[in-house]
Amino acid sequence: MAQAGAVDIVRVPDRLAFTRNRYLRALQTPRGLLGLGLVGTIVLLGILAPLLTPYSPTFQIRLQELLPPSGTHPLGTDELGRDLLSRVLNGIRVDLIVAVVAVPAAAILGCLAGLLGAAGPGWWDTTIQRAFDVILAFPAIILGIAVAAILSPGERAIVVTILLANVPIFGRLSRDALISQREREYVVAARLIGVSPVRVLFRHIFPNVVDPLIVQLALSMSLAVFLEGGMSFVGIGIQVPQPSLGNLLNEGLPYLATNVNYAVGPMLTLTALVVGLNLIADALNAGVLRR
Amino acid sequence: MVQYAALRLPSALLVLVLASVVIFGILRLTPGNPAVVLAGPDANPATITSIEHDLGLDQPLPVQYLRWVQGLVTGNLGHSYVLGAPIATLIARGAGNTLELTVGAMILALLLGLTLGILGATTRNRLAQFLLMVVNTVTFAVPTFISGVVLVLVFAVTIHLLPPGGQLSLLKDPSLGIQFLILPALCLALPVSAVVARFLQTSMRQVLQEDYIRAAVAKGLKRHLILLRHALPNALPPVITVLGIQVGQLLGGAVIVEAIFAWPGLGQLILHAVLSRDYLLVQDLLMLGVLVFIVLRTAAEILQAGLDPRIRLMG
Repeated sequence: MAQAGAVDIVRVPDRLAFTRNRYLRALQTPRGLLGLGLVGTIVLLGILAPLLTPYSPTFQIRLQELLPPSGTHPLGTDELGRDLLSRVLNGIRVDLIVAVVAVPAAAILGCLAGLLGAAGPGWWDTTIQRAFDVILAFPAIILGIAVAAILSPGERAIVVTILLANVPIFGRLSRDALISQREREYVVAARLIGVSPVRVLFRHIFPNVVDPLIVQLALSMSLAVFLEGGMSFVGIGIQVPQPSLGNLLNEGLPYLATNVNYAVGPMLTLTALVVGLNLIADALNAGVLRR
Repeated sequence: MVQYAALRLPSALLVLVLASVVIFGILRLTPGNPAVVLAGPDANPATITSIEHDLGLDQPLPVQYLRWVQGLVTGNLGHSYVLGAPIATLIARGAGNTLELTVGAMILALLLGLTLGILGATTRNRLAQFLLMVVNTVTFAVPTFISGVVLVLVFAVTIHLLPPGGQLSLLKDPSLGIQFLILPALCLALPVSAVVARFLQTSMRQVLQEDYIRAAVAKGLKRHLILLRHALPNALPPVITVLGIQVGQLLGGAVIVEAIFAWPGLGQLILHAVLSRDYLLVQDLLMLGVLVFIVLRTAAEILQAGLDPRIRLMG
């Protein structure tokens, strides 16, 4: 393996690949591309929602209730005469907000907590770990119920639940990674030659511990979509008339026998979103972590 | 195993006590006086004072906390003002149904997960491997509230094989009760079965590389004997740990599954309690959920240590 020729053989795919970035390369697998395609489509649909449909998601058209799919209403209308396509597309937007805002916020807070635990005095670490234990003692949906009981049901309860559920995950990951790295020779060497602790942390340690965090980011986004859907589905999340994929699915439930089109939109969208995010996490996991 | 349990139990107990303080705090953190909420908008101050006294809200906080914990331990859980019944009765009624659902789901998850896991670890057929991977990815990722709707759509609405919702106790009428149980239990079982299959497949592949398996093959043992008697038991420890966590997640999943299939269990009860601001009931049910989750998780960890003597406490 130490021969020069072997090195060249390894390098060929590098030059052929579209990019040298290891994340992008991990995503250039069938799984990764399928995941990106699914998630990308849904994200675009959510962003472009106002351009794609002329109807407001809450506008009720009289005498147009529970219409089957047609040219003017591709997914039909609901029991109050609202355009279902418009409700689904606008429902995506809630998920985009929770996935794109709440999850990275949780990641940053979690890493900060992990850093405090790993770098601070021992009793900080113990306190933070015990707090994480307590949060992790609640299964995710039960945590959502507890938060909804305190804050009353709504978007705020969903965002807080996502923060609470994800901070311990990122906190544990980053703390364990930092503790495993801080006695390594390259860290000790950097400290000895006088590199500032902040620079050691960001320029030396960070690149070595970031991969599991990136994979977790994709998994946590899928968890966030699950929590939004689940909480809204059982009535403690987004409240009607504001549409969300979860509460749309719940509203479509009584019409499964007569108007299947009601439930199909939110069902397909949610499935594409969570399966896509899981595929991305799988691809990153296989391509970046297991090397 | 006993030594491991002795080390593991105090920390589980500590988490439980801390969680109980947090859950107790929920009633305090909620804006508004619970007694005012319960008494209704036009109640006179005397009524409010008497409800406050009934709930013990006129006592100092530590006293209230200790009285609540004492009630939990002795089974005296208090009274639900919203539903007009003792909380112990309400929980006992729902617990039986939720237990039926989760046990049914557990059995299905193990049957499905072990079968698919063993198949995945042993098949050499590329197409079969690919199909198993697709099934696993989808059942793992798709949330229960979607698979539930699909199950209703296929088995209840389209082919009219099973009822779309409702419940009948298995003890009263087993043959009819099981028809109500199959769809919700399957819905709850799917994600767990995917996790079981995934972990079993990985650990089984490793075990099949071991020398004693080659020895068993060499002495001409039958294939199914090698798989079930020699490989499976040794591949189980990681599956059992993950199962302990997954059983806890079943409690969360049950909330959603019960909502889809109108299953009158604890999940329906806690949702009703949250939406009607029945805080004492919420508090008791949250505590019950956390208690069951932590007990199962700890039991799985201790059991795993018993099955695999190589496990030692780290840190």
